Amino acid sequence: MKARHLVWLRRLTQALFLCFFLFLLVESRLPQDIYSDYSLTFSTDQDLRLNLPVKFFFQLDPLVGLSSLLSGFHLIKGFLWAAAILVMTLLLGRVFCGFICPLGTIHHAVGWVKPSLKGSRMIRANSKTPGQRIKYFLLIGVLAGAVLGLNMTGLLDPISLLFRSMALALLAGLGTALRSAFEALAHSDVKIFNLLSYGAEILVAPIFGYSNQAYQTAWFIGILFLIILFLNRIRPRFWCRTLCPLGALLGICSRVSIIRLEKYPQKCTNCNLCQKYCQGAASPHAELIWESAECLSCFNCHNVCPEDALSFRFKFMPKTNPKPDMGRRAVLGGLVAGVSFPFLGRLDGQIDKVSNPRLIRPPGSLPEKDFLELCQRCGLCMKVCPTNAINPTLGEGGMEGFWTPRLIMIQGYCEYTCTLCGSVCPTGAIKEISAKEKIEQPIKIGSAYIDRGRCLPWSGNAPCIVCEEVCPTAPKAIYLKEDVIIRPDGEKIAVQLPHVDLKKCVGCGICENKCPVRGRPAILTMAAGESRSLKNQILL
Amino acid sequence: MMNVGKPITRRESITKLLKLSGGLVLSGAATWSVSSPPAAKATSQDKKFIIEGIGESEGYSIKELTRKTFDAVGGIKQFVSKGDVVVIKPNVSWARKPELAATTHPEVMESVIELCQEAGAKQVRIADNTIHDARRCFAITGVGMVAKKTGSDLIFPRSSLMRNMKLGGNRLDVWPVFVPVVEADKVINLPVAKHHSLTGLTLGMKNWIGAVGGSRWSLHQDINQTIVDLAQFFKPTVTLVDAVRILTRNGPSGGSSADVAVKNTLILSNDPIAADARAAMLFGREPGGLGFIRLGQKWGLGTFDFWNLNHKRVTT
Repeated sequence: MKARHLVWLRRLTQALFLCFFLFLLVESRLPQDIYSDYSLTFSTDQDLRLNLPVKFFFQLDPLVGLSSLLSGFHLIKGFLWAAAILVMTLLLGRVFCGFICPLGTIHHAVGWVKPSLKGSRMIRANSKTPGQRIKYFLLIGVLAGAVLGLNMTGLLDPISLLFRSMALALLAGLGTALRSAFEALAHSDVKIFNLLSYGAEILVAPIFGYSNQAYQTAWFIGILFLIILFLNRIRPRFWCRTLCPLGALLGICSRVSIIRLEKYPQKCTNCNLCQKYCQGAASPHAELIWESAECLSCFNCHNVCPEDALSFRFKFMPKTNPKPDMGRRAVLGGLVAGVSFPFLGRLDGQIDKVSNPRLIRPPGSLPEKDFLELCQRCGLCMKVCPTNAINPTLGEGGMEGFWTPRLIMIQGYCEYTCTLCGSVCPTGAIKEISAKEKIEQPIKIGSAYIDRGRCLPWSGNAPCIVCEEVCPTAPKAIYLKEDVIIRPDGEKIAVQLPHVDLKKCVGCGICENKCPVRGRPAILTMAAGESRSLKNQILL
Repeated sequence: MMNVGKPITRRESITKLLKLSGGLVLSGAATWSVSSPPAAKATSQDKKFIIEGIGESEGYSIKELTRKTFDAVGGIKQFVSKGDVVVIKPNVSWARKPELAATTHPEVMESVIELCQEAGAKQVRIADNTIHDARRCFAITGVGMVAKKTGSDLIFPRSSLMRNMKLGGNRLDVWPVFVPVVEADKVINLPVAKHHSLTGLTLGMKNWIGAVGGSRWSLHQDINQTIVDLAQFFKPTVTLVDAVRILTRNGPSGGSSADVAVKNTLILSNDPIAADARAAMLFGREPGGLGFIRLGQKWGLGTFDFWNLNHKRVTT
């Protein structure tokens, strides 16, 4: 195969995988026209599930699999995909980075659309720098932390990072922007604009949904993502070269790869085109030593070399590639950071002493310690939640639990028979449960209590039974007792006063969500009583 | 009001919409310029009637029962004319399986839609502003399947379809209304009969709470008056109460088959009070003992003394 064909094959593969990633991202939700799917609608004992393999890219990611194995001793479902990627890397080098990784493709595209550097400045920017060791520091840090039970991989893992940024910030933000534009059209006095606004809504809803999604801290996720994209203007694929821990892992594996860059220095005219187009700063120049650990397998150098001084060839053992340039400081620093973080993270006592009362985890979540060992903070559960209840934490889960999921009942609630979040969790931090299990065990995520000072009937303001009406358990966990209250104007009225039966309450939060007392609802949900914890219980 | 001549499916409507670069016809958003409110137009309705359809035989067909019930007043043609846009307002508020009686029976819905289509309705829409997530409600209650089978439009409730309207009620003056429910030629109210802890029962008139948006949870502070206010605004062409099975306890969301009683009954009336009153008796309740029925009669929406109406009983 000619190098030119190889480069076009790479571009095609990159585009296909990026499109597939975006497609799965958009489809990570209950479809609007779910009713057109016969199999789902009538087999009512079967839980509603997504038909597409939305976890695919997480299964493909060796870092997700490896960190789950190290921290939770858990082989994730579909780990064979990741194993296949590792084997491929051992044979062919960082092909994942050059051909598959959707975040890499985005960086590649951003650097390609409008390069910030020209001529010799680009050649200089593509020279190898000691900064490229930072990725090894980060890799060793997250893996050492994972061994000690703090899995922070997801903060830096490219697939988790991309999914989180796209789903929570980019997609949600774009949807909100588009919808506000249509609303402006709809309020216009010009009739054709009104009609256009409806038409546009129908076109946009399949991707962005019919309502504005809200995610706490998403602005921060979005800004970080923009910064990471901006870094491409300093050096092309800055993230992949300097920061990506998955790139570091694959780089280490590529040491024994049998596809190698052969150099013929006698042919080289020192035009430096190879250096100019190198994506990984892997020193492709014929007079330098090529670094397989940095090479992103983009095949640009082979393609652009006008003198055929470079070419990729299969070369078998026993010769190995040069050692990855990790640097002792990066290794030691990574170890120190990895060892200290899990302990520093636990100083807030979230696990051992007292946890945040509003840290309500999705149904099926493992006990907090095991949960933190597996959660990738990827945002898949948040994207898929039909009521938009699941949000990333900021401080509620402590430093250890940064950006892990929690339910905010004023935004949504946990629907009684819905078990989607567990079915999509790529690592099993949220177990896959059935609606039957959820109801019959029952799987509780917390419990509700009534704020009698704010509650309309308790405070003597008005009759109201909304919390009881929406309570989904059978029989209801919220029950009513008749009483007579005196209203502020002195009138006596008969009301029904709501009470919570803690034995039956599952903490779903629909009462808090629908409570007509706005601001702070008169019935609140707390994590206490969650069935995943033996300690966090109220009743004996 | 619509610019097409024959019934169109949802898919066709989207294609058409694309062609017209953003639309004249689409599920739910259609008919921006509505000329007349969907008041019950006078055909045979000048005469008030109430029909009870009861499935007595073992394994009776709900379809046949529905047809017979309508036939007792001369068939659905009395209400639905050729070329009408008909909107069905079921109660599919909760993501519950049909057998739990928290939602309108899908077979009843399907039969009514088929009858409307036989009568020449141009388009049948199903509209309900659900309480649980609409996608899950549509899938689990079976209404989605009904829409797919019959080719009717199931309208996804969303904020852009809520418009402030003047209800002119005693308690509710201006309130956001789910517009597809009013922008149609004929409206068929298709509630399920259920227990409710505040109003006693939830039947036809209370079903209109699912036709409004806004902070409807505060309606409960004066529930009987707000139900009557809504019932005088949404005047259905006809009400068909689904009492094939009823929820006797733990309503309105239910969740246990132990609370379900089988009644095999459909109640059809053009008098919303009479329909609710007859349905209330299935629960062993005295119609006059329910606040919203009493208040509704006082406000002149109908009569709960339904024995004086054209009262028929059909069985299969």
